[in-house]
Amino acid sequence: MPKLKIDLEVNNRKMSKETDAHKRLLDFLRDDLNLTGTKEGCGAGECGTCSVFVDGKLVKSCLMPVAKASGSKIQTIEGLSDPGTLTPMQRAFHKTGASQCGYCIPGMVMAATSALRENPKADIEEIKERLGGNICRCTGYTKIFEAVELAKAVIAGDMPEEALNEDDVGDSYIGHNVRRLDAPSKVSGRLRYAADMKMHDMLQMQVLRSPHPHAKIISIDTSEAEAMDGVVCVITSNDVPEQTDGFGVFVHDQPIMARGKVRHVGEAVAAVAAEDLVTARKALAKIRVVYEELPGVYDPEEAMKKGAAVVHDYAPDNIVKHIPVRKGDVNAGFANADLILEDDFSTQQVEHAYLEPEAGIAYVDADDVVVVISPSQNITHHRHMLSHILGLPINKVRFIMSPVGGGFGGKEDMIYQGMLAVVAMKTHRPVQLNFTREESIIASAKRHPSRVHYKMGLKWNGEITAIQFGMISDGGAYGMSSEGVMRKAAILSCGPYEVHNLSVDTTAVYTNNTPSGAFRTFGGMQAQFATESMMDMAAEALEMDPFEIRRINMMKIGSRTHTQHKLTAASLDRCLDAAEKESRWENGPPNVRGSKRSDLGGDDTRAPCTLGARFKNGKSTDKERVA
Amino acid sequence: MLTCDTYHMPTTLRDALELWSEAPEGSRLVSGATDILPWAREGRAGDVHIPSLIDVTRVAEFKGYSVANGRVRLGANTVYQDFLTDGVLRRTLPCMPFCAIWFADDQIREQATLAGNLANASPVADGTPAVAALNGTVELARLEDSEIKTRQFVVSDFILGPGRTVLQPGEIITSVSLDSAAGYGGSFQKVGQRRSLVISVACCAALVRADNTGCSFDDLRLALGGVGPRPMRLNAVESRLRGERISRRTIYAAAQLAADEVASRSRQEYRRSVVIGFVKAGIEEALENQSDVDVKFEETEHA
Repeated sequence: MPKLKIDLEVNNRKMSKETDAHKRLLDFLRDDLNLTGTKEGCGAGECGTCSVFVDGKLVKSCLMPVAKASGSKIQTIEGLSDPGTLTPMQRAFHKTGASQCGYCIPGMVMAATSALRENPKADIEEIKERLGGNICRCTGYTKIFEAVELAKAVIAGDMPEEALNEDDVGDSYIGHNVRRLDAPSKVSGRLRYAADMKMHDMLQMQVLRSPHPHAKIISIDTSEAEAMDGVVCVITSNDVPEQTDGFGVFVHDQPIMARGKVRHVGEAVAAVAAEDLVTARKALAKIRVVYEELPGVYDPEEAMKKGAAVVHDYAPDNIVKHIPVRKGDVNAGFANADLILEDDFSTQQVEHAYLEPEAGIAYVDADDVVVVISPSQNITHHRHMLSHILGLPINKVRFIMSPVGGGFGGKEDMIYQGMLAVVAMKTHRPVQLNFTREESIIASAKRHPSRVHYKMGLKWNGEITAIQFGMISDGGAYGMSSEGVMRKAAILSCGPYEVHNLSVDTTAVYTNNTPSGAFRTFGGMQAQFATESMMDMAAEALEMDPFEIRRINMMKIGSRTHTQHKLTAASLDRCLDAAEKESRWENGPPNVRGSKRSDLGGDDTRAPCTLGARFKNGKSTDKERVA
Repeated sequence: MLTCDTYHMPTTLRDALELWSEAPEGSRLVSGATDILPWAREGRAGDVHIPSLIDVTRVAEFKGYSVANGRVRLGANTVYQDFLTDGVLRRTLPCMPFCAIWFADDQIREQATLAGNLANASPVADGTPAVAALNGTVELARLEDSEIKTRQFVVSDFILGPGRTVLQPGEIITSVSLDSAAGYGGSFQKVGQRRSLVISVACCAALVRADNTGCSFDDLRLALGGVGPRPMRLNAVESRLRGERISRRTIYAAAQLAADEVASRSRQEYRRSVVIGFVKAGIEEALENQSDVDVKFEETEHA
């Protein structure tokens, strides 16, 4: 590979290095200098996990060719403080609980540090603006902003340094601010996620993915790729023991690489392991796959019709799972109603977008144990499935859970660990696969898109007499967590309301769309969107206050849930009281409130983002730096 | 992934021109690199191998700016963050700070150059309407019999269409020259898929000067981006308002004229309604941002 010689200073150390000419500053820091506190979350300048200082200015190192850094002074997260110490900003992040998964945090600390270096007096709006290039998916930013304001006050001397110490918890942690044990490792960038780990003699893997949503694989020719210098092996489903190749959270319907046919765009078809990443990527382009496109099905309702394309032979009706719940007599309930409302609700596919793209390492140890290191949210289940797929006894398969840089349910599915294990077994060398952001989006499971048909019967006094709830969810090409999501959606379907007569059906359906899987609330969100919308519409129809209609129907101690569980504790009354008070709610039906509501806006509500806060904050940056 | 055979960082214009004119077919110039790296990824160009990358950000002649004869000459290495941090640029180019604050984020602005933004010739570039409002010209240099020759284009002639400019093989942008608009109020309107770190669907740059009394328009400069293949000056709106009494009704009436200029290939109806609001808000905000005159809107009406 063409080389480039660069001289630069990194974290106060002068160095002269030869590196690959095409590398970005990010690659140089991570691969050549092992400074892995700087992360790669997107590679496209969107997320800020790679923020570093170059000659005192914060930049995104994924957007900087390394040659541009030659002759510069670089400061990374590792260079902010001496080993064993933390800066006031890092201590403030620790104090306020600003780090959760931690993957965005080194970049976020860098951006916060830059904000106060640029303007030590920046107010909260300017701080938000200056952190605008960095994304966090865990915190909702509030704790991060608290940390920056705390650090600002301490640095300016407005608060004593002791303010950064842990609060005294007295004799109970409850009700006190308790610091997270793992925060120092995250705010300092020292915690190594799977993509940050290195092993001696490690190969890099890249995956060839299907461009078709539904197609028969006629042939795969890997010979040209295998003949390339630096390519160590190319694997397809032929390299996996055939009888047992299937994984999934409930139904084991997914081969670790497409077998015979592909069922969605982005499905793994072949994988290359090579001495370096560039060679592995070049080899992908040399694999020849002949497909025969098949008719596909892309809508769950169409998929259930007779004659629709069949995604999996074992499920000729394309149904992944149907969960029915019945309670009381729904016909009698509707007959007893003064008012019947009926409507449809739909929700869309959603990507988890954890800041850490999928990554993993596999190797075979000296005792022939196949070891997989990955941010898996379900390592024990993965281990059991993989032992079947590899045809190995359970004591010869080991899973190590690396720090999870955000999962939200999206890392429950074993979509790449199997390929890593197969390569490790074939080569007896450690092998690593780091997804790109684009690959993470195309290959990982999504929140189920859902459609709910809702029918609700009510008395004039607001009491619900019956609910009929029918949900159709697009499960995509593989079962993954669909069954569990349908169970949860059914259990939570009609909300925290006591409904004596109900009929609930939730169904997940196979299509040739990207698979749906686990995602925070696990089906609850889709159901609650329908139920709570319906409650507001019922309040409007009955000219009632939306809090009142919820109080009339809420579950109390002694209520029976939709699945006949008798409650011995209930707190919805207190939740409603608190929400009503804190929102400064004005009593009345939802449709007669209009533009003069005084319960909108106010100091404690968040205004939409408008940029330009620094223009209002004096002339602190008014210097002529260019001429 | 972007790979290359060689990565050059020439330090003089002559070296840059020599490297560029002799570069193998398929080579590329690099300025801030904030667009070429995301371009070489899945979903856009995919993996790209480029024989020679010629990075012009170390070229001495491209550094800094000068102000003379009512024009500001920005060297090709002027980055977007300069419009926020440099006092002279903020005063002389009053719409540029507002354009810059909506452009990407603080970190990308440290690298991304105005010249590179113009060279990309994206129909939704934030820089083009602001440059058009400032009567911007682009200077290009090339080697002819080993002599450096230059030529100038006004920005709307420099850009031929989406991704296309008048740049010839071997030619490099050396500077962008803009009117000094000290004393004007500036503003920038932008809408995209979200608020922050986003590419425009449509945008509008405005420069407005009220007369000494604050009652009438002395001058206006308005330009739209994202509504056609090239940035567009709103000459009809400008001439309708020049010399007029400042009132919300007059501004609103003039803004309607802007809708007729929308010629984009997609979402035309949406863009038409957006530009009316943009022109109105753009003029009103620019009036507010004119620091030396207290603008008085004619009362008696409610727009």
